[in-house]
Amino acid sequence: MEHLMSVSHLTKSFKGNKVLNEISFNVHRGEALCILGPNGAGKTTTINILTAALGSDGGDIQFQGKPIGSQLRTYKQALGIVPQDVALYEELSAERNLSFFASLYGLHGNELKQAVDKALVFAGLDDRRHDKVKTFSGGMKRRLNIACAIAHDPELVIMDEPTVGIDPQSRNYILESIKKLRDHGMTVIYTTHYMEEVEVISSRIIIMDHGAIIAEGTKESLKEEIQNEKRYIIEVEENCGISHDDFFSVEGVKAAKIDGSIIEITSLKGIENLDRMIALLSNRGEKIRNITSENASLEMVFLKLTNRKLRD
Amino acid sequence: MRRFLLIFKMDIINLFKNPVLVGYNTLFAALLIFIMGFLTGGNDAHSKDAYQYYVVTLLIYGMLNGAMTASNCFMERDIKRPNLRIIYSPAGLFPIYFSKILSSFVFDYTLHLLLLAVLCPLLNVTLGIHPIFFVLLMAPVEFMAVALGILFCCIFHSEETTSSLLSLTISVLCFLGGTFFSFDGAGGALALITKLSPVKWLNDAFFALSCDNSLTLFWPVLIGASVISVLLVLGCRLFFRTEDYI
Repeated sequence: MEHLMSVSHLTKSFKGNKVLNEISFNVHRGEALCILGPNGAGKTTTINILTAALGSDGGDIQFQGKPIGSQLRTYKQALGIVPQDVALYEELSAERNLSFFASLYGLHGNELKQAVDKALVFAGLDDRRHDKVKTFSGGMKRRLNIACAIAHDPELVIMDEPTVGIDPQSRNYILESIKKLRDHGMTVIYTTHYMEEVEVISSRIIIMDHGAIIAEGTKESLKEEIQNEKRYIIEVEENCGISHDDFFSVEGVKAAKIDGSIIEITSLKGIENLDRMIALLSNRGEKIRNITSENASLEMVFLKLTNRKLRD
Repeated sequence: MRRFLLIFKMDIINLFKNPVLVGYNTLFAALLIFIMGFLTGGNDAHSKDAYQYYVVTLLIYGMLNGAMTASNCFMERDIKRPNLRIIYSPAGLFPIYFSKILSSFVFDYTLHLLLLAVLCPLLNVTLGIHPIFFVLLMAPVEFMAVALGILFCCIFHSEETTSSLLSLTISVLCFLGGTFFSFDGAGGALALITKLSPVKWLNDAFFALSCDNSLTLFWPVLIGASVISVLLVLGCRLFFRTEDYI
């Protein structure tokens, strides 16, 4: 697949604290690349460097085979950026915002008008085009925030957690819109810490933690790594002192984690050992409140790789 | 150039849509002049002199406070976020800070000229036999103030810090320079301190134009403020970093 962008050995430190540690990855033309990681993983720093708003301490970014520093204006022209915060003029109408931001990319006249109309339809705000942004709901502002990034029809759209703090209805609308962009061949880089968003829109996934890339691949390939595993979540009434080591006596158990009254156990698939776990807990005087189990999921992949939950 | 004009136009719109800034530079300034003029001049023959004094000195105070208009235009929270998109765009860096300087200058200069146009006939205040020199001299002073505001934002990366520092500095300099009360009759250390305040030099230049019809201080102040303005813009170029915006 053709590389639109190549990032190699990107490094960044803030006040001596290394936040990006030699990360390298490629972005393929037409894909939706999701960068997944918990808060503090280095996602936003990566995005800020990719948008050329922040300099790196080391490494190289090539866009269409050339370093971005040697073609900064061309590179910025090809980008559409959705920042984490809503970046709109509240006192102006949706149409005026779109028109202004699109014109910064060289659109004018009829071409600008058509681009604005298209972006308003994309955001589902055609009927509110003359209304001031300050009268919009949070979800509408988020949709317009995205529309402002794509109005000039960029080759690469970079979205930094664009669905933070919005209602489920608006989130679904945005995710469907991003799928449409992807299906129309637009390349998208999308950062998030919502696993369900990754499941819906990603062509490929990069998992980051502590400033490094710890896994990369498609949903399917990442899940393959743990396809022989199953996870049980057992909730007990009160932890009477059982330790995670106790579970390793049960056949098939690969990992166990106890967090208060919640016990998470990763076990090999195909080995029926739940009854033995229940017996172990009963023998220790634990009263079981609830048991759930799940097969291979991205959440499990993440847990396995980082030993912590995505939103920890 | 086209992109610069687009950004400049947007900055101008945002400034004129800000009721606090418009009010501060017009109604508040006029009210302050009325109050100070009335309190110190009363209703007798001295009132004309008092209004003449306060129109000039408080206008200079307002011009210097243009630094706060600029910092608001550059880094106020609601403006800063959409400005981020300008940084992401191919517009380049120079238009970002320079359009804030230019738009703040146009905004302040326009409102202060409007203020003079209303107050001078109303309070019988004169700008001298050549008011054009008075109006001309205002321009580099206004520009210098807004460039100072933007430079402080570039250095301190925050509107709050910039406004606090500049507000305090300008108020102290204006107080010592005789903006609120003239210290011309004072002797000793106070007279010396007053003479050291740059605001005193500005007051003297504008009073020389309006009351004495003298151009002796016109060129030194015009050239001095222009040179300082250029240096401040160069300072913005040196200190402005896009990461301060993200």
